[in-house]
Amino acid sequence: MKTIVITGGAKGLGKALTLAFAKKGYNVSICGRTESALEQVQKDANNLGGNVLAVQADVSIEREVETFISLTEQKFGHIDVLINNAAILGPSPMPLLLDYDSEDFLNVLKVNVLNPFLVTKRVLPGMIQRNVGSIINLTSEAGGTGYAGWGAYGISKFAVEGLTETWADEVSTTAIRVNMVDPGSMDTHMHALAVPDRDYDLPKPEEIVDVFLFLASDESKHLTGKRFIAQTFNNGVREV
Amino acid sequence: MKSLLKSKTFHLPDDLNATKPPEKRGVRRDHVKLMVTDRKAKSIFHDTFFHLGDYLKSGDLLILNNSRTIPAVLKANVFQRNRKVLQDVEIRLARKVSENSWDVLILDHSINEGDTLNFYNEVDAVVIERRSNSPLWNISFKCNSEKLYPFIYRYGQPIRYEYIHYPWELGYYQTTFASVPGSVELPSAGRAFSWEMLFNLQKKGIKIGYLQLHTSLSYMLEDHWPLQPQSNPEYYHVPDETMKMVEEAKLSGGRIIAVGTTVVRALETALKTNMNEGMTNLYIGPDFNLKGANGILTGFHEPEASHLDLLSAFINTHYLLDTYNQAIDRGYLWHEFGDMNLII
Repeated sequence: MKTIVITGGAKGLGKALTLAFAKKGYNVSICGRTESALEQVQKDANNLGGNVLAVQADVSIEREVETFISLTEQKFGHIDVLINNAAILGPSPMPLLLDYDSEDFLNVLKVNVLNPFLVTKRVLPGMIQRNVGSIINLTSEAGGTGYAGWGAYGISKFAVEGLTETWADEVSTTAIRVNMVDPGSMDTHMHALAVPDRDYDLPKPEEIVDVFLFLASDESKHLTGKRFIAQTFNNGVREV
Repeated sequence: MKSLLKSKTFHLPDDLNATKPPEKRGVRRDHVKLMVTDRKAKSIFHDTFFHLGDYLKSGDLLILNNSRTIPAVLKANVFQRNRKVLQDVEIRLARKVSENSWDVLILDHSINEGDTLNFYNEVDAVVIERRSNSPLWNISFKCNSEKLYPFIYRYGQPIRYEYIHYPWELGYYQTTFASVPGSVELPSAGRAFSWEMLFNLQKKGIKIGYLQLHTSLSYMLEDHWPLQPQSNPEYYHVPDETMKMVEEAKLSGGRIIAVGTTVVRALETALKTNMNEGMTNLYIGPDFNLKGANGILTGFHEPEASHLDLLSAFINTHYLLDTYNQAIDRGYLWHEFGDMNLII
């Protein structure tokens, strides 16, 4: 049975992914900072027939990454798929960089860049030894183009794109693949922080999980170092 | 049994204790020193660990222990008949016996059967019994493993011996390839490997295999409890795939290089007993007939360590001591953060 690790698995897109993979029969290991939210998602996912481990952890802290991944390895034995989903937006409404507090800037970079670095570094050795694994990083349109007003968040996603490409190249002699997904705007708490006065409809996170199911599956085993746009994804046909 | 080498000991100057991880001495983990001992030619080479591949050939098999270190040092308050009698006593996990049962070293002499250990006001354990011929106690945690492991990770610290003067974080007590949690001490022989090296070795045709041996405590604090492998069982697992690689290397004439004494112990146990998984208390000394390993990569260990007995299965004891004296003269660093020795 395949095991998937989803950071930030209790809220927003992470929650939708947890439920989708539990429904598909994966062992799912999730972490988040809020225990009550984790417990609720664990319960919901188990009701769908899933086998879910939920660990309270802040994955921008190395020791907590160690705890989360070690508990996962102890419970499920190995990890097949990692989705580096956990991220923060930073101050809301997002100030211009000109007005950005330097501590806030550093914190956004720490949480959004150090965390996928730490988790990936911890998970990859087990994957390389089995020569099996798919790593999926979450990026953003603001990670490919710099937009005024997207502050440190956009810059952190530029770093995630670099992290994805560098790591895909480093493990290119193995069967491990490292890709990234831009989920686009969704109806989530994070989007409400980014755009507090939204007056238009957005897709729900559970409507855009197909690309993740594809990248976790063997169907995508020939793809690495690629960037996908979730909302225009069409069963692996469209890739950007 | 005392270490066979104890009477033929040597003096290790204090400044050769590696007190810092190489990365904190400004040295990449894979750029520590390497002493290569060719036991047949009786020749010694001094090099950098990064050049290990120069001493290996295509078809050789390196076997690594991918057990990951858990934070095994905890503190507990001790209760006797519901009365607190001791505060903050150090408890070192030694080995897992079953889901909630562990053998531990308790750093206090006044412990009795039936005492309760209270850890951080969160978890209790009952002291069951003293293990025979051992300073270890068996304790039973009053919670299931779902609760026990998160608790150990939250509060535990890595075991740091007396030559370590700074509380290096758990991450420094891991090899880069560790992915099966369970050792209470770093299986240190693999520490110098980087992924860059492992990829390069594989490109050269050198095979890499993995097994697990979860280390127990190597030092019991008191000289009248020298470590006896026979009474210090450790969990091991040699995956079928690795066993197959061993057979293939033997058939094709490749050498099998064990990375660390833990790998020798696990592999030789599996070959001797035909059991690929279990607990091993195998003692390996000078007269042991090695069935698997043709060579060993190891760190430098203190004179009284039983590790040296195991090395004597590979190399004549007197010659080993000669090589160690050379290593001392050349300033090789000792212990888990130190330099490396390949014996082929």
